[in-house]
Amino acid sequence: MSEGQSKGTYVYGIVPGDVALNAGVHGVGDPPGEIRLVRSGDLAALVSDVNVTKPLGTPEDLQAHQEILDATVADAPVLPSRFGAILTSEEAVANELLDANHDEFAAALRQLEGLAQYIVRGRYEEQVILEEILSENSRAARLTDRIRGADPDASRALRIQLGEIINNAVADKRNADTRLLVSEMEDHCAGSVVRAATSELDAVYVAFLIEVGKDDELKRVVQDLSDRWQGRVELHIRGPMAPYDFVGTGD
Amino acid sequence: MTVMQSGGDSRPSPTGLADVIETILDKGMVIDAYVRVSLVGIELLTIDTRVVIASVDTYLRFAEAVNRLDISQEKEGLPGLVGDMQEGGAKHKTKGVLDAATDRLRDFADNSEQDRQGARRGRRRED
Repeated sequence: MSEGQSKGTYVYGIVPGDVALNAGVHGVGDPPGEIRLVRSGDLAALVSDVNVTKPLGTPEDLQAHQEILDATVADAPVLPSRFGAILTSEEAVANELLDANHDEFAAALRQLEGLAQYIVRGRYEEQVILEEILSENSRAARLTDRIRGADPDASRALRIQLGEIINNAVADKRNADTRLLVSEMEDHCAGSVVRAATSELDAVYVAFLIEVGKDDELKRVVQDLSDRWQGRVELHIRGPMAPYDFVGTGD
Repeated sequence: MTVMQSGGDSRPSPTGLADVIETILDKGMVIDAYVRVSLVGIELLTIDTRVVIASVDTYLRFAEAVNRLDISQEKEGLPGLVGDMQEGGAKHKTKGVLDAATDRLRDFADNSEQDRQGARRGRRRED
């Protein structure tokens, strides 16, 4: 097999052309290739060689992809690629990717200059939120009484009905709590994207675009909400990270 | 009440595998949309950790949780608990696999912390 067929150029993301790389940083693949820059005009792409005959996506690969991009955002704006983008060669990265889309990428990088993404995620404490729903929703409370002690097979339909009511109630609370978080952050961020819930107990899941190192207001808002929600939601802040939720999909 | 800040002021810290997956597999720039000729297709090993919400399974799980709520408040220790624990046990097994993967990630990340400095801004230097 020729080299052209077995080797590809993995693209992590796009940065301004005036960045410098630390030597000896390794990326995805087995063995992991060293990170290099491919430059074109005012742009550069963070790349490494990968063996395309082996599948990618081990935990180490996923972690490497994100860590390289997240470490970059503290020093330079970056357009992070979705995991798994491979081109045939460095020339293809320079010509087809960077050159062909130069002005669009350069404009996006200017907009992201000095900004990083932070994610606020909150999960409902199950027991607390269920008690809250049962106290507010008389239909759910009545169903709970009917199901209690009943034969599990005979009460299956009722249990599905109860679960659906609770799921909808949680969704309503999620929407209200998410609106509150986003409105509290409105004056303290350059943008926000509400992520779809991926767990039925998700309370809030929002990505914010914030000036690098200026996350004091975010921490204050989250602390205030946390106090206000008194143990019903456990909140986490993650970041700074590359602006994954704020880059285009090329549509 | 609990606010946890993961990630320091300047350098992010390792996070759970599920968080990483939700971020870099679902978000980020889709290079395929910008490049058509020179793309290389490659097999991706991915783990889908997303929970399908608003399904019958979710509803039954919520109903079970409500039931447990009543049991823990009023009838703690009844034989009826056994069924719940078996179901709960299966869930924990699944979760255990994920946690182990996450731990391995942490070890890996700790070991390679020195390596992962990423690109630094500065004047372009000729090598």
